[in-house]
Amino acid sequence: MVSVRNLSHSYGNDGRLAVDDVSFDIGKGETFGFLGPSGAGKSTTQGVLTGLLRLQKGEVTVAGYDLRTVRKERFNKIGVSFEQANVYSKLTALENLRFYADLFDAPTRDPHELLELVGLAGRENDRAGSFSKGMKHRLAFARSMLNYPELWFLDEPTTGLDPAIAAVIKGVIKAEQAKGTTTFLTTHNMYIADELCDRVAFIVDGSIKLVDTPRNLKQRYGKKLVEVEYLRDDGSIAKETLRTVDEGDRERLAGIVRSRDIVTMHSKEATLEEIFIQITGRGLD
Amino acid sequence: MKLASAYRKEMTIAFRGFYFYVEIVIALILLAVLLLAVDEYPEGREKEYAFYDASPAVVDAVFAELIEEGTLVPGEPEELTMKPASFEVADEAAGTSARYSFDEPRAVSARTMLEMDRSTGRKKKTIYLLDSEDDLLRLSFSSGDVGAVIRPGDDGRLYYRYILQGYETERVSNLLYALHAGSLDELGDAMDRQAVRSLGPVDRLDARESAVPLFVTFAGSLMGFFIVMAYLYLDKNEGAIKAIAVTPATVRTYLLSKTLVIMSTVLASSSVIVIPVMGAKPDYLLFYPFLLATTFAFAALGLFVASFFDSMDDAFGALYAIMIAFMLPAFSYLIGSFDPVWLRFFPTYPVLQVFKAVMLGKTDVPYALAVLAAFLVGGAAILLAAEARFKKTLTV
Repeated sequence: MVSVRNLSHSYGNDGRLAVDDVSFDIGKGETFGFLGPSGAGKSTTQGVLTGLLRLQKGEVTVAGYDLRTVRKERFNKIGVSFEQANVYSKLTALENLRFYADLFDAPTRDPHELLELVGLAGRENDRAGSFSKGMKHRLAFARSMLNYPELWFLDEPTTGLDPAIAAVIKGVIKAEQAKGTTTFLTTHNMYIADELCDRVAFIVDGSIKLVDTPRNLKQRYGKKLVEVEYLRDDGSIAKETLRTVDEGDRERLAGIVRSRDIVTMHSKEATLEEIFIQITGRGLD
Repeated sequence: MKLASAYRKEMTIAFRGFYFYVEIVIALILLAVLLLAVDEYPEGREKEYAFYDASPAVVDAVFAELIEEGTLVPGEPEELTMKPASFEVADEAAGTSARYSFDEPRAVSARTMLEMDRSTGRKKKTIYLLDSEDDLLRLSFSSGDVGAVIRPGDDGRLYYRYILQGYETERVSNLLYALHAGSLDELGDAMDRQAVRSLGPVDRLDARESAVPLFVTFAGSLMGFFIVMAYLYLDKNEGAIKAIAVTPATVRTYLLSKTLVIMSTVLASSSVIVIPVMGAKPDYLLFYPFLLATTFAFAALGLFVASFFDSMDDAFGALYAIMIAFMLPAFSYLIGSFDPVWLRFFPTYPVLQVFKAVMLGKTDVPYALAVLAAFLVGGAAILLAAEARFKKTLTV
């Protein structure tokens, strides 16, 4: 669904590249996470893929369209949800969706249905300007689904949302995944990426450092630790972290389990964030 | 379909926004000013000082004739005071100059004559009749008004010598010369040699009507230039442009919808002024197409200028400079004697002239249509240039 070969992009003439020789593919129905800290090149890559930025160097095919030739009809197959809640504040929620629906040359979804999907039922006729930031974000998110997109670009879809709303958004994304929608997810939230993505790419300083599935990454880079808390003879709580791949630690763990009262015990897999730091040497903020 | 939807959206936003009502309220204020504060035939405040270098009997006879004609009406005598002054008077005809110096203040009582407009019955100017040329020079120098020395010749004709301030245009000097000082035979010969092409009717707009072309040009077309930029930057701030850019709608559709909403707004605001003031007098079949064509061109220019800047703050310098430049032709419109050739290159110059003629309802239609076509073609070219620029910059 997406093919990127040797993509580079610069905002100025100083030779500094915001994206430097990036290549990757996204298969049909796949959810691909593009992960990196602010300024890593995530938004620039998405900008080129969505046509907001002109393709300067490289070969990019999106939804079957070669981006070297500008074809507006490709947007009939694409949906884009921006990080910014960019809706017309003077239009109502319904007017916002109806206006954008009229701009497509393809069948569009019922705006009422979309508003209900994102929890804005009953607010159809309220102006977006009166909405909270979270509500505007949901409206912009609903707008990205208007044209039944085959390829869906999501830029930080849950950033800044409270947990309940984030859960609603994640639920909608999972439902669309189940229908076979291909998704390009840009985020610096590794938990969202871990939960939603089939594969992730780590991008730092404009270059992709790694592309793999979250499961493979955890297996390859995870430390395979167990953290256990138990009661000592004097009643105080002891805490130990033991490696499950070390024979001595495994025997020690078995001994603790046999002879002590266990307070808590957790297997401690490495998170994507920890793996990201391990690989890139950089944090995500 | 896309354009219609975008236009509908823009109109909805305009009705719920600030700028639409700014235009309408300004139009209503201008209308109120025109109807309540501007007299259709205001009395002239112009003054002229005159010294008749002749015996009182001859002067009385001349004025009696003019009063009988209805050209002059006797006014009340007025006290005039003169301060000490020192100045130089150049005689252009002789190529000489003389220095005058008056050390003492002086007060005189002057007879006045009121020159009347026969068509309206209103006063055009007040003529002060003085007893000496020195008084005339002092008063003309201190007030900045025109002075005239009139002397009956041996041939029975009146000869005029005008005291001007030096800053009057050559056109004014020539006009006075042609009216009084030159030989009528010479004037007649010159007139016979002129190829005269009537661009407009001989009818005149009254003072109130004369303001309408100015208001329509500046409160209409130029406001469109400014407001289209404001609308565009509002969209940029909200980020809504990016959301449009990822739909099959084109940049051209977006820009045209902006232009159309400006044209609709200007149509409404201009009608608020024109219809109540002008009634059925204008040629509306020419007025509205011309208004829309010029507004289209100015809105396209606004979009083009906006394409170079990221925000209204950034664009303000250019916006201000362009609007001031476009207002310059108003000086020529208001001061008939000020009409330099370079001013005719400003696009608002022909707009003002055509609006003025259209308001009279009798214009040179081919000329007006040529200007209209130029604005349509020029506006389309500017819009295409704006489109080319916005394809690169609109979503960045």
